Amino acid sequence: MSYVVAVDIGGTFTDLVAYDHEAGKVTYTKSPTTYDDFVKGILDCFDKAKLTPEQATFLNHGTTLVINAYIQRKGAKAALVTTQGFRDVLEIARGNRPDPFDLHYQRDEPLIPRERRFEVAERMDSQGNTVTPLDIKALDALAETIKREKVESVAVFFMNSYANPAHEEQAAARLKELLPGVYVTHSTELTREWYEYERTSTVAANAYVGPQVNSYIRSLDADLRGKGFEGSLFMMGSNGGLLSVDRTCRTPVALVESGPIGGCIGAGAYGEALGFKNIIAFDMGGTTAKCALVENGRFSVDSVYYANGYVKGFPIKSPVIDIVEVGAGGGSIAWLDSQSRLHVGPQSAGSTPGPVCYRRGGTEPTITDANLVLGRLNPAKFLGGELSLDTEGALNAIRKIAEPLGYAGVDGATRAADGILAISTVIMAGAIRQVSVQHGLDPRDFVLFAYGGGGPLHSAALAHELSIPTVVIPPAPGNFSAVGMLLADARLDLAKTFTGLMDGDSVGSAEKIFAEMEKEAAAALGREFGATDIFFERFAEMRYVGQRHNIKVPVSGLSSVAEVRAGFERDYKRRYGHADAKAGAEFQALHLSAFARQRRPDLAKLPDVSAGASAGGERQVWFSSIGKMVSAKVFDRYALPIGFKGEGPAVLEEYGSTTIVGPTDSFEIGPLKEIRIFCGK
Amino acid sequence: MNQLAKPQLADKLDPITLEVIRHGLISISNQIDANITRTAFSPYIYEYKDFAVGITDADGQLVAQCTGGMPPFVADSVGTAVRDGLKTYGKDRFFHGDVAVCNHAAVQGQHLNNTVMYTPIRTPEGELIGFFAINVHWIDIGGSAPRSTDIFMEGLQLRSVKIWSKGEPIEEVMRIIETNTRMPIELLGDISAQLAGCLLGRDQVVQLAEKYGVPTFRTAMATMLDQAEAAARARILALPDGTYEHETFLDNDGEGDTPIPVRVKVVIAGDEMTVDYSGLAEQAKGCVNSGYFGGGLTTARVAFKYLVAADEPANEGLFRPLKLILPPGKILSAEDTAPMGNYSMPFPTVIDAVIKTLEKAIPERVTGGHFGTHSGFRLYGRRPDGRNFDGHDSGHGGWGACATHDGAGPFRTMAHGDTRLIPIELQESLLPYRVESFSLRADSAGAGKFRGGLGFRKVYKMIAGCFMQTNLDRTKFPPWGAQGGKEAQSGRVVVERATGETQIVCKAKGFKIEAGDRVTLETGGGGGYGPPAERDLAAIQRDLDRGYISADAATRDYGVTIDKGVARR
Repeated sequence: MSYVVAVDIGGTFTDLVAYDHEAGKVTYTKSPTTYDDFVKGILDCFDKAKLTPEQATFLNHGTTLVINAYIQRKGAKAALVTTQGFRDVLEIARGNRPDPFDLHYQRDEPLIPRERRFEVAERMDSQGNTVTPLDIKALDALAETIKREKVESVAVFFMNSYANPAHEEQAAARLKELLPGVYVTHSTELTREWYEYERTSTVAANAYVGPQVNSYIRSLDADLRGKGFEGSLFMMGSNGGLLSVDRTCRTPVALVESGPIGGCIGAGAYGEALGFKNIIAFDMGGTTAKCALVENGRFSVDSVYYANGYVKGFPIKSPVIDIVEVGAGGGSIAWLDSQSRLHVGPQSAGSTPGPVCYRRGGTEPTITDANLVLGRLNPAKFLGGELSLDTEGALNAIRKIAEPLGYAGVDGATRAADGILAISTVIMAGAIRQVSVQHGLDPRDFVLFAYGGGGPLHSAALAHELSIPTVVIPPAPGNFSAVGMLLADARLDLAKTFTGLMDGDSVGSAEKIFAEMEKEAAAALGREFGATDIFFERFAEMRYVGQRHNIKVPVSGLSSVAEVRAGFERDYKRRYGHADAKAGAEFQALHLSAFARQRRPDLAKLPDVSAGASAGGERQVWFSSIGKMVSAKVFDRYALPIGFKGEGPAVLEEYGSTTIVGPTDSFEIGPLKEIRIFCGK
Repeated sequence: MNQLAKPQLADKLDPITLEVIRHGLISISNQIDANITRTAFSPYIYEYKDFAVGITDADGQLVAQCTGGMPPFVADSVGTAVRDGLKTYGKDRFFHGDVAVCNHAAVQGQHLNNTVMYTPIRTPEGELIGFFAINVHWIDIGGSAPRSTDIFMEGLQLRSVKIWSKGEPIEEVMRIIETNTRMPIELLGDISAQLAGCLLGRDQVVQLAEKYGVPTFRTAMATMLDQAEAAARARILALPDGTYEHETFLDNDGEGDTPIPVRVKVVIAGDEMTVDYSGLAEQAKGCVNSGYFGGGLTTARVAFKYLVAADEPANEGLFRPLKLILPPGKILSAEDTAPMGNYSMPFPTVIDAVIKTLEKAIPERVTGGHFGTHSGFRLYGRRPDGRNFDGHDSGHGGWGACATHDGAGPFRTMAHGDTRLIPIELQESLLPYRVESFSLRADSAGAGKFRGGLGFRKVYKMIAGCFMQTNLDRTKFPPWGAQGGKEAQSGRVVVERATGETQIVCKAKGFKIEAGDRVTLETGGGGGYGPPAERDLAAIQRDLDRGYISADAATRDYGVTIDKGVARR
């Protein structure tokens, strides 16, 4: 018996999904996340599922370790080595104030303070010619200082290294030689794109988490091997692909959105299997709701990501799936401001103390409390009955905000609870509109694919708000992030600044550069995954001559100027509504994505039919659309056969999640045991 | 002049529907904000965020606005344009599918680039419920600012002119616009983004209104204004009554070299705040003027929002408790024909001065002065190969310290927001210079219990000869401290000739620079807060270790002695 395994370490639970390819059998399990030693939580999951690491051939792993290190500032004591005159680039940043009216606005402190930012004489020009050679003697002296300061990791960034990385590579190699045991990284091993602040920030971020990620992965690997694991360990990258251990250790910054990525991959895989081309992946957890677009089977990847948000955080120039996040999760708190205006979030009660109804000391009403009061959650069957919910406590908490609004008694609290959900629906719909509008798309052309603990509970109302006709809830929505990790392919992204007028010469040069990039990527994937079946996607960042911002155009298979031009104009027109046939076009950068397919589980086998999480029957549920409590049929989700059709109002229960079908909606169990909700008028 | 009808007291509306509509309106303006950022052509829009999206009621009162956007636009530039349109056409002659624009100096009172476009929002039954409006900095509208001496030298004026009628473009007007700009491709691209945003926003507001019914929707809009007003009044009521004043000066208007007085008075009385600009300088000869709405009212509202309502969404109700006293003919209430090309030059100092007046009234909010000048810096000319180049590289400087922490920055001014600086790697690939260093400017901040933010120092080594234009103000009247904090250093430009000769320049047009010369742009710091003697020794030591202050400055400003790098009191 052998398994492929995916493990997702979340804020509250560590989720494990195991799949036996031969038997077509799936096992889900979860265990509390063990903060002092994450590996223990993983091993607990193995025990709970009655599996052993010996039986695992692959283990795909996603973790929030990196993003937490940035937010909690628990990274390494790092130093920066940079070009003479430029140590403050990291601190000055781009000089903007994203919150315009905050008189006291401050950006987060840089990850590396000024006293550990060192300069060395060297300089390249913008063409990559040496202006000042690298001063090796000065570098050697710096190494002594760094040693004396007991620095754990070093980031190397030189100006214009995107054009010629020779000095950067030379300096990094020399520092590695002189500083054994110190983690050394340089900017151009992470990205070859220009913009000094973004590249410095990226390499500083990489150095900041390098030692921690290395020791975590090494100990995970060693502990698993100690328990008999002989398979391959892969990490989940923010670009939606698997990373080898070696690559992760060199570029740990690529794990920054390692956690939430799984669900997006899963949404893409289900969409492909079910024939839905355009999907909005919607994930609602305890503190936030997140959404991402999958268009024609591909999710869009942003090349700049802001750790800890755009307002105060820092950029990472590394491909990260484009996710919009809003502060509306199950634990988001409903509150009144000084003018008695009702707000929801972004403050969250999180998992501790959590919503009032969890009985863990929470006192402020949350979205989950509102759901409970409205009969949308089953107090006896939450997490399969592992947690019994306090309806009265939730009701009392909501009354505290209902009464100042003029809503008295239990009826008034019900109205206020309905209001909490109405406002959270508007907030979540705003996020979905934003992510679709940013890509020039209309949400009505998409299927809403909902998961996470709260996704299935809110998706039908959200679909009505957005006029989306169809909602899809995959099996095991509460574990879906881990499921998605089982479905990931290996992926490697390379990018290079490449500027020039788009003409025969530059298209020819681009072809050569792409060919080199493909060779490099294929060699790396072959080395790291033993992969031979590799496919590529090519993109060019382009614009009209004289413009200042670019669009990313797919250029795979386009070899002539006319074809590239047509591709550019088509995308340009979609985004801007018009194109200019006369204006010249130019290149700004080349991007290559290389993929190696992994063997995927059979999606039809992923529902865990043994789960019996509901007693069925009927219960009173409030529906906003009709403004009252009505009797709704309750189903045990996995007891319903494929092809089953039902009418709302209905509640479909399962372990870890609840799906609500509105009174005018109908639903059906699809071929992969997914729930499909069809929104009626 | 600022007389806006107060709405009838709103009928009783259920508070949840009200909140859903309120969130809905703000969400629509933010969505259109994202749409404009995505579809605009010029960097003024997607990098400088030089635009704002707003929704007004049927009388042109601002009800909701996007959360980003430039501060000077937040102060109701869109409502001003709509109200002028209503005076021109009346409600009946704004048909569904009409789109109008306004950049007229007599209405907007700012440079002519700032152009508001708006469209009526009518229900399918034809009832007018509001306007959807977007103010965008048009990249070029002709004219010859900053060398202008009246508004007619600054380009094309469009006063409440329809560019679309009943869903069809008016080609003649579009042709007038196209033929009066140096950059027709970019401008028409931006205009189509602005137009698409207006129409999409309009349709979404109609959907929202239909969902809840027009009477409810109207009541919700009126209630939103009343609630914002009540919130603002409650905050002003918490401030001690009194009359507060501050006086400072701008260096000059860019023409002569006479300091320009900025005397401001703020009166807090009960739940109202009055900004009195009677002591401001008269209209200037240089193009640094602005009109009553675009200058006086705008700066007063921006300062008001910084001080008492930073987190309240901007709408007309929020500003009802703010009164303005501003006689005509001042630098911020100039005649309709005054030159306004650099209209916002005085803004950072005026806003900063209004904030300074309340130093004693709200010490917990007021900060030391910020560097407070646009610090315009431009190098332009011809390359050895004959191609022209033109690089704008405005300065960012230090912000003032406050009651709880050191000043931040370098950022752009209080009249800017999410405006990003241009990467050096990009500059070096386009322009004939090499940047030798880009660093924080040690000792530029004002000392204090909390130190101001630092300015920067950027050194350009010229590869080709060129011309320089600079506009650094507040060099004679540096950024002030607050509550006993010290003033900061001003900015300056140092030109070091290849021959070794050195010159300091602050304002210059067409200043000749030779290949091999080194030009250093130093920006001002922010003022300190509280007496320097109260600064924590550990903070002084950290500043020394990091090189934010020199040993000399530590001794001079904080009275510490330094022994082997260790500061002692």
